[in-house]
Amino acid sequence: MGFPRGRSGGFRGGRGDGGGRGGRGGRGGGGGRFGDRGSAMKVRGGGRGGRGFGGGGGGRGRGGGRGGGMRGGNKVVVEPHRHGGVFIAKGKEDAIVTKNLVPGEAVYNEKRISIQNEDGTKVEYRVWNPFRSKLAAAILGGVDEIWIKPGARVLYLGAASGTTVSHVSDIVGPTGVVYAVEFSHRSGRDLVNMAKKRTNVIPIIEDARHPSKYRMLVGMVDVIFSDVAQPDQARILALNASYFLKAEGHFVISIKANCIDSTQPAEAVFQSEVNKLKQDQFRPSEQVTLEPYERDHACVVGGYRVAKKSKSAS
Amino acid sequence: MLVLFETPAGFALFKVLDEGKLNKVEDLNKDFSTAETARKVVKLKAFSKFENTSEALEAATLLIDSKPSKGLRKFLRVHCDGETLAVADSKLGNIIKEKLKIECVHNQPVMELMRGVRSQLSELISGLGVQDLAPMSLGLSHSLSRYKLKFSADKVDTMIIQAIGLLDDLDKELNTYAMRVREWYGWHFPELTKIIQDNILYAKTVKLMGDRVNAAQLDFSEILAEEVEIELKEAAMISMGTEVSDLDLINIKELCDQVLSLSEYRAQLYDYLKSRMNTIAPNLTALVGELVGARLIAHGGSLMNLAKQPGSTVQILGAEKALFRALKTKHATPKYGLIYHASLIGQAAPKNKGKISRSLAAKAALAIRCDALGDGQDNSMGLENRAKLEVRLRKLEGKELGRSAGSAKGKPKIEVYDKDRKKGAGGLINAAKTYNPSVDSVLVQTLNAAAGNEEEKVTKKRKAEEALATVEDKKEKKKKEKKEKKKADEGDNGNDHAEPEHEEKEKKKKEKKKKKADEGETAIPINGDNHAEPEGEEVVTKEKKKKRKHSAEVQNGDEIVDAGERKKKKRKHAEQEDESEVPSKKEKKKKKKSED
Repeated sequence: MGFPRGRSGGFRGGRGDGGGRGGRGGRGGGGGRFGDRGSAMKVRGGGRGGRGFGGGGGGRGRGGGRGGGMRGGNKVVVEPHRHGGVFIAKGKEDAIVTKNLVPGEAVYNEKRISIQNEDGTKVEYRVWNPFRSKLAAAILGGVDEIWIKPGARVLYLGAASGTTVSHVSDIVGPTGVVYAVEFSHRSGRDLVNMAKKRTNVIPIIEDARHPSKYRMLVGMVDVIFSDVAQPDQARILALNASYFLKAEGHFVISIKANCIDSTQPAEAVFQSEVNKLKQDQFRPSEQVTLEPYERDHACVVGGYRVAKKSKSAS
Repeated sequence: MLVLFETPAGFALFKVLDEGKLNKVEDLNKDFSTAETARKVVKLKAFSKFENTSEALEAATLLIDSKPSKGLRKFLRVHCDGETLAVADSKLGNIIKEKLKIECVHNQPVMELMRGVRSQLSELISGLGVQDLAPMSLGLSHSLSRYKLKFSADKVDTMIIQAIGLLDDLDKELNTYAMRVREWYGWHFPELTKIIQDNILYAKTVKLMGDRVNAAQLDFSEILAEEVEIELKEAAMISMGTEVSDLDLINIKELCDQVLSLSEYRAQLYDYLKSRMNTIAPNLTALVGELVGARLIAHGGSLMNLAKQPGSTVQILGAEKALFRALKTKHATPKYGLIYHASLIGQAAPKNKGKISRSLAAKAALAIRCDALGDGQDNSMGLENRAKLEVRLRKLEGKELGRSAGSAKGKPKIEVYDKDRKKGAGGLINAAKTYNPSVDSVLVQTLNAAAGNEEEKVTKKRKAEEALATVEDKKEKKKKEKKEKKKADEGDNGNDHAEPEHEEKEKKKKEKKKKKADEGETAIPINGDNHAEPEGEEVVTKEKKKKRKHSAEVQNGDEIVDAGERKKKKRKHAEQEDESEVPSKKEKKKKKKSED
């Protein structure tokens, strides 16, 4: 196929789901002209190599994300991602992976890739499914900085069963710590089970609306990741930040527009949430949509109690 | 001023060295940026380490409920004499103030101070590094979580949620299996599908019969009705199905066993669910039934969660998709969700379903709160409200029918008019007119029905005695019993014409009739027949009309029995005139009948 690789974006047209949202869809529009849709689809399978992960705002070309064909791992090469602790596995299909903190164990039946180093040691990576994790979707969506890096202390609100938490725990490694807060007992059960294997995860079965109930367990953190999908999630984040987020710490919040106001257009909801955050000493620095993976979701990243002078400097 | 700071390793008390700093909240942040400056603001005064994990767990669980543990109280008593104490939880502060007489403060500067202490914790507490703190908090969090999960508050609700889920699964499964039996055995005996509609009966029959050749010799009387059995045997003779081997039949029979055992299990599970619902949510069950109630609980997650929902949410629970679609497109929101399957809504006419669903949801929300938070264990509240809703439903339906009847443009007006007249018209009509809502509830209902029957018996007896007097009277009685009350009414009047000497008896009958009309009205809820009501009302209004005329034409038109004989006669005459004047058609009919 004489289809230009890389930059085309033409294969976006073949995906069919939410391809034409906002300004991003326009990129695919030009490229998508050549060839029929069928061939575009085929290109998507093979021609995605290397695209998207490197540059900010890239990474939207990949779909699937299920890491199919990772089995065997003989031809797979793992390269570090721009974000610390995150890796890209390049094989038949590319996938985002994290280094398994507990080799030999899968948390949610995800695929694992074993790589043999030159010195004979084996490293195991776990495939991170962007359709199941909003953080992974944000990374693939090309977010500039996630602030979650090796050694970081993270407060994770809305941990659910701990699928994303397990990847975050992979990223922060044994020197970091993840405080995972989840209110539901059913999901909390799975979370506690997951945390048994990972000593850097501290499970907390409490309502994130009442941080004073777990003030005893949580120390000062560098980053708060919030995925609570509640109408008052900005308030919840602010409350937790006032307790536990260090000055000039950072936050990552995933916003589901439908959970806040289903009657407004998604963009307006994101804007109002960002404004709410600004009133609570947060300084949002970027916003990405999680478009091919989630509909009407956005991920907002920013700082907390950023000093005045740095503002003038920037 | 002292600061109480809780860590997973124990409680720490810090002395605030410069209280003036608390007034400048913004600067606190800067002061705690490094360990050296932080030490200038606060100093560790005392630290009480947890002896073991169980002590830590106890302290932590109490702290979650904003209560001081024994160790904390002791610690504070020793170190905190005559000082104000800054705490992170105002409720905890109140309790400490009450119990230990230690002045407590909790405000914005204190929270800032806590933030600062938290950020420099390992520096401020000597001998407690990060490496010590981490395992402590890990161990404590795990034991806390386990404790929380073990003593989960809504575990009884999960039983209901699982049971209703299983019930739905079983229904689905049962249906697929039963259809499979029909499909499979249909190759051998296709006619049977039409003959036996019921899945369970079908499975039983197939199990008993096996090859259709056996049908003629077998006795199906235990399973099937006689005519069905005959039909089956006839069809078996001339069936166009293929032959199947014994091995195939064995397998089909095994599938039948599965169907039968599943259906048996389903019945058992349903009983279990019923009893569970009646103990956990008696009022909700009384209002909407076990299945709908259980589905509501399952949808809400737990009874307590459901109790936090308003009635409007309960109304559309289960119709979220339609609701959000409607909200987005600015269309009308759905009128009902899961609650649609409640019997009360099933009874309502399509036009009234929305209204009754709203009322039911409002009452259901109250019932849920009653069940979740109330002390009472009976379902009286639910039954009472159900009765009220049934009255409302009847009112709605009654209005509907009255309007659709068309004849009476002014019917509602007449009702209003009647009310005014009622005061002067005497007690009997009042009794007939007012509706007794207590007859509606399920329990009272049967009692009333029984009472009504007894009354009827008595009146019948009396009537029989009277009937002996004249043959014609007897005829009239039969009419009365068989035909509608209206006609009976006319019949009596006809009687009046024929035999004026029976005036007194007729008079008595009149009263009985009224009683009957009364009964007729109260009997309606028992029948549950919506159409019956307006008719009954019609009868009553008719009688009232008559009475009005009486009172108009005769002074002292009272219906009291012990009024003078003369008056009665007079009244009768008046009535005769009345009858001959107004319903001339009826008279003609009557005459025809008497001629016959």
